[in-house]
Amino acid sequence: MRTKIYTLIFVALAFLINTKSFAQEVNLKNYRVRFGLSTTKQADNSRKLEVSYIASNKKDRKDRVPIYGADINFYNVTEDKDILLGTAKTDKEGTAQLIVPAKQAYTANAEGYINLKAVFDGTDALDSEEDELAIKDVFLELNLKEIDSVKTVILNAYTLDSLQTKIPIDETEIVFSIGGMISNMPIKREFVSDGAFKFEFPEHISGDKNGNVDVFASIIDNDNYGNVIQKKNIDWGINKQITHETNKLWSEAAPIWMYVVLSILLIGVWANYAYSIKNLFDIKKEGKELELKSQNEN
Amino acid sequence: MDVIKRKKELVQEFSPMLEKSTKTSKVWIAFLVGVILVGLVAFVIQVVKGHIVTGMRDNVVWGIYIINFIFFVCLSYSGAFISGILHFFKTPWKNSVSRIVEIITVLSLIIGPIFILLCIGRLDRLYYLFLYPRIQSPITWDIIAIMTDLLGCFIYLYLTFIPDFAMLRDNSENAPKWRQKLYKTLAIKYYDTPTQRETLHKITRTMSVMVIALAIVAYSVLAWIFSLTLQPGWNSSIFAPYFIIAGLYSGVSVIIIAMYLIRKFYHLDHYIRKVHFMGAGVILLIISLLFGYFTFSEYFSRWFSHKIEDVKLLDTLFNRYFWNFIFANYIGVLVPVVILFFKKFRTIKSVTFAAVIAILGLYMNRYLIVVPTLESPYMPIQDTRPEYIQYTATWIEWALSFAGIAAFILFFILIMKLVPIIPMSGIIDHEREQKRKPHLSNNH
Repeated sequence: MRTKIYTLIFVALAFLINTKSFAQEVNLKNYRVRFGLSTTKQADNSRKLEVSYIASNKKDRKDRVPIYGADINFYNVTEDKDILLGTAKTDKEGTAQLIVPAKQAYTANAEGYINLKAVFDGTDALDSEEDELAIKDVFLELNLKEIDSVKTVILNAYTLDSLQTKIPIDETEIVFSIGGMISNMPIKREFVSDGAFKFEFPEHISGDKNGNVDVFASIIDNDNYGNVIQKKNIDWGINKQITHETNKLWSEAAPIWMYVVLSILLIGVWANYAYSIKNLFDIKKEGKELELKSQNEN
Repeated sequence: MDVIKRKKELVQEFSPMLEKSTKTSKVWIAFLVGVILVGLVAFVIQVVKGHIVTGMRDNVVWGIYIINFIFFVCLSYSGAFISGILHFFKTPWKNSVSRIVEIITVLSLIIGPIFILLCIGRLDRLYYLFLYPRIQSPITWDIIAIMTDLLGCFIYLYLTFIPDFAMLRDNSENAPKWRQKLYKTLAIKYYDTPTQRETLHKITRTMSVMVIALAIVAYSVLAWIFSLTLQPGWNSSIFAPYFIIAGLYSGVSVIIIAMYLIRKFYHLDHYIRKVHFMGAGVILLIISLLFGYFTFSEYFSRWFSHKIEDVKLLDTLFNRYFWNFIFANYIGVLVPVVILFFKKFRTIKSVTFAAVIAILGLYMNRYLIVVPTLESPYMPIQDTRPEYIQYTATWIEWALSFAGIAAFILFFILIMKLVPIIPMSGIIDHEREQKRKPHLSNNH
């Protein structure tokens, strides 16, 4: 399947370069093109704009062909004009990403929504595509404090109006998680009311070698806010030192009792061998003496 | 009793066995050498082309080589065990069988480990086992146990040979010079003086206890190579005693077969008598019942526990290996039991026949312990070609297996050319004892 995908990627690339060969190689009618824009506000307040550009076989859902190397333009749409935020190419997975820095000023509409748009201008082989979304710029303030010796996670979530007044968000699900090597581990999932929520940080969460943990507060795939992530690092994790165990069944050196038992057994047995051999020499010695005695007598 | 005269008589009695070779024996030796040569050719092919010429693959990494290894090593341990018992308890009829047992012990302990070497894919790295041993590994325990046991058995065998070497040295004036020289060297100036005799008896007796203990330890270690893994069919707490019983089963059977052949071809009816076969038959009966009991317990507990992997293994045993299973665990146990249980069935030939069935059944039992388990791995492999999953031994493996058996028989014959198969010193000792205690029977 993977080979097939790569073959199709290669073919799709070829379409972009040589449009004449396209019709001979693949019939695009069998594929439905999916072009989707999403956005994530990151912990440093930068915003990730992401487009997924994939052709899916109408009959076989598993047959998905990422469109590779397509130029995607990202815009902030205003009433007057579209402001270009940047351009990115789709990768082998058919994904184009643009990180818009935190300092970027967006133009919002009267209701406070920022309109974002991703556009693929199209080639001779592929139609032009575009997708839009409207999100409100939300701010997550994550505070980690010890209140009366209780480790407490405090979250304030709000938007700003045109006068920069904080408006608490309501009925929005926030997911709290701990950063992990492969994926984050959720520790709390809650709908906030009046833009504020706090809870006690669970115990027995393992941290890194210094006991540090990354605490995340996220809004995931929300209609109004898109994806928003906030993160703080704190030494609330358990600082579990990895101790190298010795003399265990799985360690380099065997358990002590094993050496003792084996030594006793081997010493016992080999000492007996030595004793037997020593006695054989005694027998030989006596035989020699007998021979000498008999020679002397003769 | 004139001991010197009696010794001379005995040497004269057994000399033809040592010196003369009949036409049949020459043909037989030539055949055995031929089989060994075919095995050597197979070995060279295996070394040059690698294990691809065997039936062993990713799943079944152990085939009939390991089965031969277990079989021979168990034979050796059981030989040591029986020999130790015979010596230590001064069994009345030990003289007739003790040397057979001792030779079986040493030879099988030499040949058995050769098969484990044939299993190793990278023989050039064999020395790593000694350079970087892991004391926690049952493989390391087994190497230590086999080496220690081999040396112990060699010493023990030699101790029992010394008085006979001395008698042959003193009474082989007409023998070739090399033979005289060999006897002189091996006899280590033993003149059967009371002190020498007492010393020799003392250390032989100590060694007999030692080899019993060693056999039990080595048997258990061999069983642990399997049972300490989590493989279905192997992970069993009764594997060590099960191996001991199975080893004794094979050991006693091989002794009976050897007794029968030696009695027949060397006309030793006077020394290896019906009473010996009857005694060995009763022992075989007891061991076959114990073996049957352990086999039943082993499979019954697996069937009853109903663990998925065990059920799969039992399915394999009762489907693809159905007839092998029936032969190994029903015919291989019940036929000897029926023959040996009824006194009227117990004749020399029937006891020997029961022993042959027991040996074949036991070999198949070993096969069913090793191969079906390896064919049922916990993790399914991606490549499911039948030859990767199922094992069938190739002609290379069979050639080397038969070469091992041929080498065993050939060396047995050659040792019988060196010393009499009935210990002459044992006869002298027995006659001495009889003279001292005349009420003792003539049941040697």
